[in-house]
Amino acid sequence: MKSAAIILASLLPLLIAATLIPAAEPFGFELRLGALVAAVALLPVVIGIVRGSAEPDSSPAASAPPPPPTASATACDDQVVMLLALLQERGRLIDFLMDDITAYGDDQVGAASRVVHEGCREVLQEHFSVVPMREEAEGSEVTVPVGYAADEYRLVGTINGQAPFNGRLVHRGWRTTRVKMPRLAQSGGDRLPAIAPAEVELQS
Amino acid sequence: MSGKSAIGIDLGTSNSAIAVAEGEDAPIRVVETTQILGPNRIGERETLASALYVPHPEEFPAGAFSLPWHEASGDLTVSSVAGHFAREHGALVPDRLITSAKSWLSNPHIDPHEAMLPWQSLSVAPKISPLTCSRRYLEELREGMLHALAQRDQALEVEHSQVVLTVPASFDEVARNLTLEAAQQAGWGSPLMLEEPQAAFYAWTEAVGSGWREQVGPGDVILVCDLGGGTADFSLIAIAEQEGQLRLERISVGEHILLGGDNMDLALAYTLRDQMEQAGTTIDEGQFLSLIHNASQAKASLFEDETLAEVPIALPSRGSSLFAKTVSTKLDRELLQGVILDGFFPITAIDEQPEEGDATGLSEFGLPYATDPAVSRHLARFLARSLINVQGNAELAALVGERAASGQALLPSAVLFNGGVFKAAPVRTRVLELLNHWSPNAQVRALEGYQPDLAVAKGAACYGRMRANGKGLRIKAGTARSYYIGLQSSRPAVPGFKPTIKALCVVPQGMEEGSEEVIEGQTFGLVVGKPARFRFFSSEVRSGDRPGEILGNAENTLEETSALEIALPPMQEFPQGATVPVRIESVVNELGVLELWMHHTNSERRWKVEYQVRTS
Repeated sequence: MKSAAIILASLLPLLIAATLIPAAEPFGFELRLGALVAAVALLPVVIGIVRGSAEPDSSPAASAPPPPPTASATACDDQVVMLLALLQERGRLIDFLMDDITAYGDDQVGAASRVVHEGCREVLQEHFSVVPMREEAEGSEVTVPVGYAADEYRLVGTINGQAPFNGRLVHRGWRTTRVKMPRLAQSGGDRLPAIAPAEVELQS
Repeated sequence: MSGKSAIGIDLGTSNSAIAVAEGEDAPIRVVETTQILGPNRIGERETLASALYVPHPEEFPAGAFSLPWHEASGDLTVSSVAGHFAREHGALVPDRLITSAKSWLSNPHIDPHEAMLPWQSLSVAPKISPLTCSRRYLEELREGMLHALAQRDQALEVEHSQVVLTVPASFDEVARNLTLEAAQQAGWGSPLMLEEPQAAFYAWTEAVGSGWREQVGPGDVILVCDLGGGTADFSLIAIAEQEGQLRLERISVGEHILLGGDNMDLALAYTLRDQMEQAGTTIDEGQFLSLIHNASQAKASLFEDETLAEVPIALPSRGSSLFAKTVSTKLDRELLQGVILDGFFPITAIDEQPEEGDATGLSEFGLPYATDPAVSRHLARFLARSLINVQGNAELAALVGERAASGQALLPSAVLFNGGVFKAAPVRTRVLELLNHWSPNAQVRALEGYQPDLAVAKGAACYGRMRANGKGLRIKAGTARSYYIGLQSSRPAVPGFKPTIKALCVVPQGMEEGSEEVIEGQTFGLVVGKPARFRFFSSEVRSGDRPGEILGNAENTLEETSALEIALPPMQEFPQGATVPVRIESVVNELGVLELWMHHTNSERRWKVEYQVRTS
């Protein structure tokens, strides 16, 4: 559950980055919007997982007594919230996703997405080293080698026989060769930490 | 691994870093330091921002800024936080932020031991002295480095390593001493001091390997042009041949100029804000901060990719409504050229000197920021003063040959760029163009192998390795300035005329490490139990003055550096009120630190003179 939350949370910036990078430009706004929808759809999943683990009693499947919360579980949740906090701080991701997009024109959404793109990209580059799984151009013929890692490929279409498989590269895939997240100075409080604190300006 | 390890510390005005050379042959590497990345967030970075934030006691949760070594020492009540978070958060709470502590160390109008930062803050009490602030950065660097290494099961014995700490070439002895004091307090032992432009040169020789001798040769005069975030620092290094061996000598250093890349980013942001306001869009303080950041990124993109015509910039409001309140603008090439290249690096004449600020206006007292943003004119002034300096000394003049004979400035034959500003190739090209404009008869070239990042720290480690293992070609340097003690002229007071101050040269320019000199001919009488104060002067352009020489009018020809104070305690042979005849003895110790002593004329007894509070 926790690791799923981390993976999904990690996917968010990847998704945003993948759709906003210049390579995606020719596909125009539809793709970007599609990605936004996907990203918006993903967020509740992450939040749900985080919430689910923070409040095990609220889970409908919890007929058996929930396992006692351990210190490491809380630290793990705190760490996930930290990733959201980083993406919000630099890239305003939570603002972006929690705002109602339907009321705004493309120019406004475009301007906002620049903020998200620049900031989330900084976070991504600072804490991860993201590289494509396959270097070939999408649409070209590629070979999936013998002994490939099954988590690194998703085969679609007609799957028969044995590797090596030959096919057309639909999506190049992404992976990170490094994760360098900040550590928590302290964790394990009685509640989850803030994603973004409420900001109050005091007058002198 | 053989030989002693070396640690190079670049204590920068805006960012600090550490590089390490483990043993004689290992490559030099920048080491990350563990540091605060945010409230309750710890991680490793290659640089530590030289910024200190003093939080309100209720501002952050208890322990939000505790680092592992704070926990180890049991001191969890951290009253200030250093690093990138401090700078970013402090931008929104400026009254609690300290930056540029290093420049305060060399400010001639304040006492760096006095707790006075954040400057003019109404919220912070107690305040922090520039010295303590530098000590805090050096502590965080030391502990952060050791912790980050321990994280990877590595270790480094600071006590058994050769530590080198860099300072601007423009720092005088008082500022150098203060930096050393901060380093000693921070647990770095007694590091060697090295001028930053020299460190950049060592880093260059290390980076290009043995091939560096193919790029430079006897007769070359190299300008090290270092433009960091907040300061500009220039030096000239001459290359000569002596008995078949190359000889490098640093022949002149510049003044402390508070002008750098941060000024350029600010100038861009102000120009863009004006443009937006003319178009009817006003932005708030938070958006302006984003604008500085984004303009800097856009500048880098445009300079890097010459095919780009413009870079769009989007500025979110500080509220959560991203779609409704984000405003856009763009930085185009024309504006960038106008603000950066023509604003900071105009093609000026060699005799154009920096414009002085309006001396009659009531200017707010603070750091002496450069009033003229044109780096070109500061560079012209430096080269003109360098010529005066080498002409004062036959040995130096011989080193640079014909270059010293004529003209208005000492023009270099090659330039080594250093500092983040020069990441932009068009800026390097423009400075070369400028130097060639001044030097129509001889081509000035750029040394190949510019290192955009952290060259000073790497060069410091490289120098430390040379010193520890006695190998490599060192730059002959010695003291960058000559130093003088003020002598009150003995003549009757005339109403309306201040008596002129004569100056006794006590330290010649270029006095080398491990040497000492007793100033003959001038005896002072110190009264036991009564503190004696002397005015202390310096100059970076009087290479010809010898120890014992007396100059006529100190206030016109020299810069006042500080005061010197000495008080002899009553001793058995010298009771209270007795007058002790002394001569001045100058010592440059093995660390490159200048000490002045009062040496009893009739015995071997001597007393050390302390640098004193500088007051305006």
